[in-house]
Amino acid sequence: MLEAQRLSVSFGAQRHVLRDIDFTVAEHEFVCLVGPSGCGKTTLLRALAGLTPISNGAARFKGEPVLGPQTQLAIVFQDYGRALLPWRTVAGNIALALEARGIPAAEHAHRILPLLKKFNLADHAAKFPAQLSGGMQQRVQIARCLAQEPEVLLMDEPFGSLDAITRQELQDEVARLAKDERRTVVFVTHDLEEAIYLGDRVIALAANPGRIAEIVDVELPRPRQQLGTREDPRFLQYRHRLYKHLAH
Amino acid sequence: MGSVVPLSVLALWEILSRIGLLSEDGFSRPTAFLAAGAKALADGTLLEQTAQTFSAAAQALLMSSILGIGIGAILGLFRPLERAAQLTVDALRPIPSVALIPLSLLIFGFSRNMSAAVAAFACFWPILIVTTSAVRGIDPRLTEVGRMLGFSLLHRILKLALPAAIPGIMVGIRVAAGIAIVVTVTTEIVSNPRGLGHGMNLAAQSLQADLMWATLLWVGVVGWLVNWGLERLERRWLYLR
Repeated sequence: MLEAQRLSVSFGAQRHVLRDIDFTVAEHEFVCLVGPSGCGKTTLLRALAGLTPISNGAARFKGEPVLGPQTQLAIVFQDYGRALLPWRTVAGNIALALEARGIPAAEHAHRILPLLKKFNLADHAAKFPAQLSGGMQQRVQIARCLAQEPEVLLMDEPFGSLDAITRQELQDEVARLAKDERRTVVFVTHDLEEAIYLGDRVIALAANPGRIAEIVDVELPRPRQQLGTREDPRFLQYRHRLYKHLAH
Repeated sequence: MGSVVPLSVLALWEILSRIGLLSEDGFSRPTAFLAAGAKALADGTLLEQTAQTFSAAAQALLMSSILGIGIGAILGLFRPLERAAQLTVDALRPIPSVALIPLSLLIFGFSRNMSAAVAAFACFWPILIVTTSAVRGIDPRLTEVGRMLGFSLLHRILKLALPAAIPGIMVGIRVAAGIAIVVTVTTEIVSNPRGLGHGMNLAAQSLQADLMWATLLWVGVVGWLVNWGLERLERRWLYLR
């Protein structure tokens, strides 16, 4: 579905951010990228999205090189406050994706409503982003990405700036969404437990230059549960195994 | 509270005038010019002149906004174009707008267009400069959102860049509105026989100091009202955000 082939990114001749990244994301797979800060995980996600130019190698979507942004790949940014349009309501922000797809305005309402319901936003449709909590704003951004109807959802530390409780709620919502709608997800996080909790596979990156340190298949039963899964001995084993890649 | 100062000044003025310290040739006393103003308002001359002046100023503001926002948005989005235009802007901007009165008179004759063209030249620069910097300062994240959603460049400008820049642009328009009134009245005083500026000229030439003062203060009052209205509009926009 989505591939990185000897993907390298350099800023100038000296700064090699990513070197020879190789992996393949299967259809409907949930892959998490973890690594210490500065290892280039966000750059890797942006390269897969077509936002950051690749210096060597390639990102491929369904076999075709990704040369720029394309609507089949949606990205959820960490900073929801900057990614939402402050002058548009919740419904208006989601409608933006429909406008981009050229869907007539008459159809917007009945396409937006199910998305609002899915994220418990139905009561907030007419509010502006500034009137919502961080968790709600991030839900709006995810809903907007889904309105784009992409095949792959690329998520860049989407819950990094949320409080612990909200973060767990959103983890479960995204996990359910990925499973119910059979979306392919690439999820960047610096939180190891989040990666194991959500992923079918966890790819750990090492820094300077950014490269793959280890790839681990997570064989924990789904649906996963915040308490049960995290107390599962296998969960702790994965955590032990991957922890060294995050320690400095 | 803000009206204490002007009211005290008017009262002092009236007193000084009555005891003969202020010459009535130049300083008509407040009671006299308020009466003259009321009369001019009642017989419609003041309102007609106001309509003439403000239609010219509004036309100037509209033209300069369309050009200034359009060109400013393009310059703000494309850095090389901004650099290419820099010299031209720097060379044209210092030309005093009133220096264009003879030229404008030659092209448009005695007409609303003559005043509007000169005022539009003066208004264009602040709007251009403010729009350019507001568009240049847009969060790059919004551009990325637009690209990921698959918007064309034109749609990214219309749906993302311009709305994001509106608070900045509104400041430019408010500044330009004041300039539009000042320059329009100037053209009327200097050469265009219409509007409030011409009215003041006529009053002065016929030694009607009361009517002159009434018109002068009227310009101030209406200018203040315009600014107040634009500020309200701006705040409404900001509230929506």
